Amino acid sequence: MYPFFFYFFATVLILAALTVVLARNPIYSVLSLVVVIFSLASIFILLEAFFVGVILLLVYAGAVLVLFLFVVMLLNLNKEEVARVKQSRLRPLGFLVGTAFLAELFWVIKASSLAETTSPGSIRGTIETIGRILFTDYLLPFELTSFLLLAAVIGIVSLTKGILKS
Amino acid sequence: MTSPFALSHCLLLSGILFAIGLVGVTTSRNVLKILLSLELLLNAANLSFVSFSRYHNDYAGQLVVFFVMLVAAAEVAIGLAIVVLMYRSAKTIQADDLRDLRW
Repeated sequence: MYPFFFYFFATVLILAALTVVLARNPIYSVLSLVVVIFSLASIFILLEAFFVGVILLLVYAGAVLVLFLFVVMLLNLNKEEVARVKQSRLRPLGFLVGTAFLAELFWVIKASSLAETTSPGSIRGTIETIGRILFTDYLLPFELTSFLLLAAVIGIVSLTKGILKS
Repeated sequence: MTSPFALSHCLLLSGILFAIGLVGVTTSRNVLKILLSLELLLNAANLSFVSFSRYHNDYAGQLVVFFVMLVAAAEVAIGLAIVVLMYRSAKTIQADDLRDLRW
């Protein structure tokens, strides 16, 4: 049962990721990123990383993508602006880089001993275990992220309100 | 309950996701789509962190994913604010149209 779900969500993930990159309209890109996030969260839960999967859903699908959608609609791009997207001259080069990266990665995974690692560990990333480690061993990084978020908030407010200009 | 799919499959999926994101970042001209492809890149890295954490019996990978998500949220908020400002002042969101600093 588990491998079936894994390959199902993996297929959905790859198709939706391709739609994110290839769609012309940014709204379709954002909406297929929602599908990417949902299938990625399902794969996290199959890997028994429950906390991270739920946080992914809450933070990304709940906040980040709504922000994206909000900005796409706020900018209110007219039809010409969307249709005017002519393809970059460097587009074939980009596809070449992507394919080369993928081939290299495939070769590395094939050559390494990782391919034999089939037995997963016994850890379960529940809220209790992750929270316990987060508030003991990783307390300082956790507190420092609050400074990062504070800096981000101050930066956004000063950017959009133009405090620095006046 | 053990999950029978191999670690290499998870890593391959993460690599495919990263390659798609890389193509998106290098080929798209719309700034919003570049930001969306950056999200794909970050999530590909997250997937490989979680699968290594699962197969190596170490919680550190999942904690790193938590921090990566926090940084990604801050990055998206700042990036979108910059896109809105860019649209206000330059009336475009195509990266190629910003050529004021071009010699």
